[in-house]
Amino acid sequence: MSIGVASDARGRRERRPLKQLFLIAFAVLLSGCAGVQSALDPAGTEAEAVATLFWVMVAGGTLIWIAVMGGFYYATRIKREPHSERAAGRLILWGGAVFPVVVLTLLLAYGLSLMPKLRPWTAVAEEPALRIEVTGEQFWWRVTYHRAGEDPVVAANEIRLPVGERVVFTLKSADVVHSFWIPSLGGKMDMIPGRDNTLTLEATRTGIYRSPCAEFCGSSHALMVFSTVVMEPDAFDDWLAREARPSPGAKADGLDAFLRNGCQACHAITGTEANGVIGPDLSHVGSRDTLGAGILQNEIDSYVALIRRPDVIKPGIRMPGFHGLPDEEIETIARYLKGLE
Amino acid sequence: MRLIPKEVESLWTLFTAPTIWAVHFLVCYVGAAVFCAKRNALGLDFITVRSGIGIVTVIALLAILGSGWLAWRQWGFGTHEPPHDEPSHHDRNRFQGFATLLLCALSFVAVIFTAMPAAIITECNP
Amino acid sequence: MSVLPDVLPEDTRSDGEREAQAERLRAVWKTPTGWRYWTAVNNTEVGVWYTGAAFLFMLFAGVLALIVRVQLSVPDNDFVSAEFFNQAFTLHGTVMMFLFAVPIFEAVAVIILPQMLGARDLPFPRLSAFGFWSFILGGVFVCGSIFFGAAPNSGWFMYPPLATSEEAGIGADIWLLGLSFIEVASIAAAVELIVGVLKCRPPGMKINLMPLYAWYILIVAGMILFAFPPLIAGDILFEMQRMFDWPFFEPERGGDPLLWQHLFWIFGHPEVYIIFLPAIALLAMIVPTFAQRPIVGYSWIVLAAVGTGFLSFGLWVHHMFTTGLPSISLAFFSAASEAVAIPTGVQIFVFIATLLAGRVIFSVPMLFAAGALAIFIIGGLTGVMVALAPFDWQAHDTYFIVAHLHYVLIGGVMFPIIAGIYYFFPMIAFRKLSDRLGKIAFWLMFVGFNVAFFPMHLSGLRGMPRRIFTYPDELGLNLLNLVSTVGAFIFAAGVLVIAYDMLRPKKKQPYAPRNPWNAGTLEWLTEMPGEDWGVRSVPIIRSRYPLWDQPTLMADVDAGRYYLADAEEGQRETMVTSVLSAEPIQCLRVSGPAYVTIFSAFALGGVFIFLTFHWWWLTLGSGILAGGGILYWLWTGTAIIPEKREKDVGLGLKLPIYVSGPKSVGWWAMFITMVGDGTAFGSLMFGYFFYWTIHDDFTNGLAGPGVLWPLVAAACFAAAWAAMLLSRAANGADRPQGLRLWLCVSLVLTVAGSCAGLYGPYAHGMDPTAHVYPAIVWIVILWTVCHGAIGLVMQAYCLAGSFAGRLTAEYDIDIHNVVLYWHFMLVTALATFLVVGLFPLAV
Repeated sequence: MSIGVASDARGRRERRPLKQLFLIAFAVLLSGCAGVQSALDPAGTEAEAVATLFWVMVAGGTLIWIAVMGGFYYATRIKREPHSERAAGRLILWGGAVFPVVVLTLLLAYGLSLMPKLRPWTAVAEEPALRIEVTGEQFWWRVTYHRAGEDPVVAANEIRLPVGERVVFTLKSADVVHSFWIPSLGGKMDMIPGRDNTLTLEATRTGIYRSPCAEFCGSSHALMVFSTVVMEPDAFDDWLAREARPSPGAKADGLDAFLRNGCQACHAITGTEANGVIGPDLSHVGSRDTLGAGILQNEIDSYVALIRRPDVIKPGIRMPGFHGLPDEEIETIARYLKGLE
Repeated sequence: MRLIPKEVESLWTLFTAPTIWAVHFLVCYVGAAVFCAKRNALGLDFITVRSGIGIVTVIALLAILGSGWLAWRQWGFGTHEPPHDEPSHHDRNRFQGFATLLLCALSFVAVIFTAMPAAIITECNP
Repeated sequence: MSVLPDVLPEDTRSDGEREAQAERLRAVWKTPTGWRYWTAVNNTEVGVWYTGAAFLFMLFAGVLALIVRVQLSVPDNDFVSAEFFNQAFTLHGTVMMFLFAVPIFEAVAVIILPQMLGARDLPFPRLSAFGFWSFILGGVFVCGSIFFGAAPNSGWFMYPPLATSEEAGIGADIWLLGLSFIEVASIAAAVELIVGVLKCRPPGMKINLMPLYAWYILIVAGMILFAFPPLIAGDILFEMQRMFDWPFFEPERGGDPLLWQHLFWIFGHPEVYIIFLPAIALLAMIVPTFAQRPIVGYSWIVLAAVGTGFLSFGLWVHHMFTTGLPSISLAFFSAASEAVAIPTGVQIFVFIATLLAGRVIFSVPMLFAAGALAIFIIGGLTGVMVALAPFDWQAHDTYFIVAHLHYVLIGGVMFPIIAGIYYFFPMIAFRKLSDRLGKIAFWLMFVGFNVAFFPMHLSGLRGMPRRIFTYPDELGLNLLNLVSTVGAFIFAAGVLVIAYDMLRPKKKQPYAPRNPWNAGTLEWLTEMPGEDWGVRSVPIIRSRYPLWDQPTLMADVDAGRYYLADAEEGQRETMVTSVLSAEPIQCLRVSGPAYVTIFSAFALGGVFIFLTFHWWWLTLGSGILAGGGILYWLWTGTAIIPEKREKDVGLGLKLPIYVSGPKSVGWWAMFITMVGDGTAFGSLMFGYFFYWTIHDDFTNGLAGPGVLWPLVAAACFAAAWAAMLLSRAANGADRPQGLRLWLCVSLVLTVAGSCAGLYGPYAHGMDPTAHVYPAIVWIVILWTVCHGAIGLVMQAYCLAGSFAGRLTAEYDIDIHNVVLYWHFMLVTALATFLVVGLFPLAV
């Protein structure tokens, strides 16, 4: 602060750094908010409205904090003579009671009015064109795309959405409580065993957003993530059509190794005899953004590591380790899976 | 012998208005929750819930006003300013009246807050 | 008309007489020495142990927090394993809440409340000691688990199904049983404190003159009665599921994990205020002292305390904003969560107004008070933010919440408690803490805290969920987390400085002057060094700040010119006064040192601990020992027939020594306990109706207990209750035979009612593991039957008392209290049997 009130002669020169400092601070603040998992870098209608609400409340809160602590400082360190009890009593009435009532009434009315706006029930009133069912399981996500009049498409650990359309999610859990959260698009919704929760979201910007599980769900809660890929509607339709068909790589060489080692007991690959339902569907695993529910790069080495020692990569995972297999066998399976695009 | 001794009854006047708030809150919450859980069986419209909440709100507010008037009277209609710190029966009564009045005011605002959702929310889900 | 004299009569005692009185008093209140020291029950001893133990648990939980912070200081860290990390944060939250924040409030209240009220002790000293021993045993049990890798690991709110799964292991049982045991101790403390505030004030301290601290304690103890029982009910359901596979939280068999969330947060949110209000209460004592004037807005503080106490029960669903409940439900709780900010704001402005109208002396307690406000207001403001459901949808379960809750709890609880420690230390240890160390500690803690927790707001909104043991490099969370870790260590250094300041030897330091801060309230009557008797004589109070407004008070108290200046009969005595006007009504004899409290606490602890390991026979044996110990304690320590009816307590006032019914503290204790008990029962019934709401047919087509047997049970219990009324009436008419006859009749009816109650579900083959409907019916019936069994013991106790000549028409405490129990028993039994019998017909 002292920079800005320096002597007149140097005033102009001194002020500039302050301005620059402010601009830099602002830029840092903004960049500090950016990110693929940031609620303050919105890419959806709900996240936008909530970010705005947040900044308004931060501004108001800052002013209130400064005023109250200023009052405290004045009362304890600055004033020389005590004020009258009457004046102090008035401070309680107006500062402690009336002012909060007015501010909170306005804030509450605004906050409540956002609820039907952000999550309109009209969107789920009739069967929507696209409904995505997501089931949280320790520690991954089962994803099923339901379109009116067509077969459901099963995938895992990645969700793709068309931009500019309100998408309905049905959220379930297979074991413990998880929470579904795409910070860039909007708030979270828990996945609770025995309850089907509904959430609607509308993305406004294409991109890939990281989406962590938000309710503590056991050892590897921190390692339960999915990618949300927001696409142009046409590209999305193409992608979903492709996803509904078997992968061109499904019949490739490694399939034998995959089946020989019993992988199909848990995993399914469309177009082959692998149809396990315990673990994630692998039909198009090679084309996903990440591997292992959002924690590994989708490359051959990751497959190898995951097949060999899944319990090291993900404590508490149900998949058994295959470190007893010869390296070539594991690599064959890994290459095969990477080829499932 | 009484189940609740007499003295508690008069200390209870302090808690009248917050208790009204609590009952109002519970009625609104339980009413809406049961309606939303059982709406298929009930066959009623959400407007029923909203008007129900409106009616109990009016009743609660009137009850708080009544309690507030009694408190105001106990306080001596504001003829005596706080702090009511004399060791007399008179000041003890004034103190109880004033504290009760303040609680009535708070409860009044809290009941209005609780009713606000019914004015804004028009459906159960999502 | 008041019996209190306006002017003290002339003191006619000789110096020798006065000294002899003091000597007798000293002998009676003497703390035992040697290894018998631990049998002490005096509030100053027990309170100090209690505070010290809570403080140690806090340091332990603090170390866990530092481990958590080290693990999170850099991305992809492997300092500890995921499993250990999960145990560490679970135990950190659990210990801070249950073994520090709640007990420290009870501990501090046990020390300072009697002093503040000019009472010799709380009305049930052995109950305080019992509470302490239960607490220390339960606490060591829960904390010790981490050294065996068996600590609870599902987060401090223990959500099922994670916490009911195999994965949770024995840690979940340790959590449930260890904490249930401690909750019992908390309820005991609540009973003690409510009775203490309402009945043990000094003569003349009318309700408008009560120290603000006592107001807060009254409200908080009342809140405990309504907040803790739902958790106990939840614990019962939870443990029945873990131990016997009753499916309360398992959806496949009709249960619902959300019921636990409701019960937990019905406890959990008031809990926040249960620990916040007593800490703010310390500030309400400190601020007037350092403003050197009475508080401005006494009534406003009462408004704030009572208002917060009520509103805090309408907030619990704001912890469940993302569970998919109907938005209208969320909205109600959003509204109440905003409303609760109003009384909290009032509270803060009362402090500022008082400082504004006073001449402020700024010293270490005030420094911590200032820090408390600066931090707490930020926590309050973020609280207003997350109270709005739409914002909470984003912030929920992220580090934003971690930041918010620490701003609230450290600003609203920790800093005020440390202010209180610096303020009250001379009253307890007779020497002041160091100003210089206090300032160093303050700045370390204040700066360290903000460096640690402020960045968490941002890391949370940048997408960092809470309870993750690691995070990847590329999310941009690295710097924020590193800064937080550094701050945590700075903060910990401040805490260590305080611990050092408290523990460093002070033998060479001179005693503090008496009333070192020139405060106005009675606790500062303490002499330096002090005596075990609390106050030399129990004064007559005419002001909110008697030490300021009654200039000769201290001298008169010291000269023993007020009440109870002597202990002729060698008994520990204190005054009981009326609730509103504090007119003297009884000279209460309180109990002294005893082993039975330690024995009972450890035997009861054994029940919970053995149950954890499913050692059924040991559990049973321990239960019998605990029951026997408690009965022995009651028989030898309560409702003692005095050698005379009345006693001259001084100033020409004669007071009865033995009173019964609503005049007696025991009756109040029973009433208050049963209110808490009724709340627990209500929570179980809430469960019953909850299952009704979530299912179209909540019986799932299974047979119920029928109509006949539940109605028979209800009728038997009603008749048993009527027989209890008749037995009391017979006793009142001095017909001991009638008393015994009706007690026997009631006893038989109670047995009959219990059998009929159990036979209903048994005869219809209700299998509690088959579905949640039979399970919930069984549990409410078992609850009622257990209460019937306790009622039986009470009836037998009265019978024994009658034969032993300790229950007579004149000395009738026991029968009054037992009949009071039976009033509640009647309500419980009728509600249980009418609902389980008739409700299925109605839907």
